[in-house]
Amino acid sequence: MNDFYLAVSAFLLVNILVGLVRILRGPTPPDRMLMAQMFGTTGVGILLLLSEAMGLPVLRDVALLFALLGALATVSFVRRYWPVEFAEEESKE
Amino acid sequence: MMFEEWISSALVCAGAFFYLAGTLGMLRFPDIYTRLHAVTKADNLGLGLLAAGLMLRAESWPAMIKLALIWMLALVTSATACYLVANNALRAGLPPVLGRYRSGSRP
Amino acid sequence: MTQSERGRKMFIESGKKEKFPMERHGMLLLNRIFHRFLLLCLLWWVLTEGYPGSWWFGLPGVTVTTAATLGLSSRFTWHWRPLGMIRFVPFFFLQSLHGGIDVAWRALHRQTPMNPALFDFPLRLPHGPARVFLANTVSLLPGTCSADLSEECLKVHVLDGSIAIHTRLQAVEEHVAALFGLSIPPAERFEEASPHE
Repeated sequence: MNDFYLAVSAFLLVNILVGLVRILRGPTPPDRMLMAQMFGTTGVGILLLLSEAMGLPVLRDVALLFALLGALATVSFVRRYWPVEFAEEESKE
Repeated sequence: MMFEEWISSALVCAGAFFYLAGTLGMLRFPDIYTRLHAVTKADNLGLGLLAAGLMLRAESWPAMIKLALIWMLALVTSATACYLVANNALRAGLPPVLGRYRSGSRP
Repeated sequence: MTQSERGRKMFIESGKKEKFPMERHGMLLLNRIFHRFLLLCLLWWVLTEGYPGSWWFGLPGVTVTTAATLGLSSRFTWHWRPLGMIRFVPFFFLQSLHGGIDVAWRALHRQTPMNPALFDFPLRLPHGPARVFLANTVSLLPGTCSADLSEECLKVHVLDGSIAIHTRLQAVEEHVAALFGLSIPPAERFEEASPHE
């Protein structure tokens, strides 16, 4: 059973590796950021599987923290690194 | 006991399938808005099914509730992140692909 | 009607005309403190996975947190209705399953068929947490993703513009209204399948 969980978490890891293509190719910065958000969700899944497979309940707490920090990363990216000129937007309307 | 294990494995596999679908959607969908759909829906369903599968095998009640809590937290954060990214993309004037789309018809 | 519901109704009415009886206010506050305390205790129990020794630290922590949240959130006098929740949760599960399958089908299809469109959905919910909750829910439901929450409408990006989006969103809106115990005006009929460019 534990091998099964390990296999699934390896599959998710491969998933992340495939997703790297979008980071390399992504035409705009938000595309790359989206992939980072996806890593967060996949990372939570992997940690949950590992905690079951290895019998380490502590990893569930790490997963909880990952879920929280994923949101913070996106918020800070949108607010700090992708500012939108609101003034220009208003003059256009 | 065996029955529970089967259901649990089936749920975990289904979760992994939706993760795969999310990654594929991320790679194949044409613009940032449609990719957002892939990330928020497929991945959260994947995590939900995975957590449900592990909940069946959790060793105690609090551990089970914690798995559900992690999923709910992921739902809330990704819905919020999705709104922020979509809103900012719209304000920044990134044009969405509109109308009928097939991956063969456009580069 | 439960005690807290009656209390809130009086609270709303008291703002308009009636005098608010002091003892009812006290009962309402005690009720709220008690509920919040229980909720935080449950959270602590879950986070520590029921480890008994943790309560030496947990109980004072929960008490302080209860006090802090009361001081912070006096403006938000809402909470979810149990009946609305019982109806909302299965609805949400089924819809998000549908949403995941929908996206998976498009992603795995050889040609990734889609017909994206932007919609303006006129809101009937009042300002406040219910609207934000609706915007977040819409992002997780099949084929829709909220993009801009403005004064009167919610701009929604849809994966397939040819489906009956308005009818669907109105159903979601009614579920959210029931969840928050709000009454909203009856639905208007919309011309379907007419996304604005």
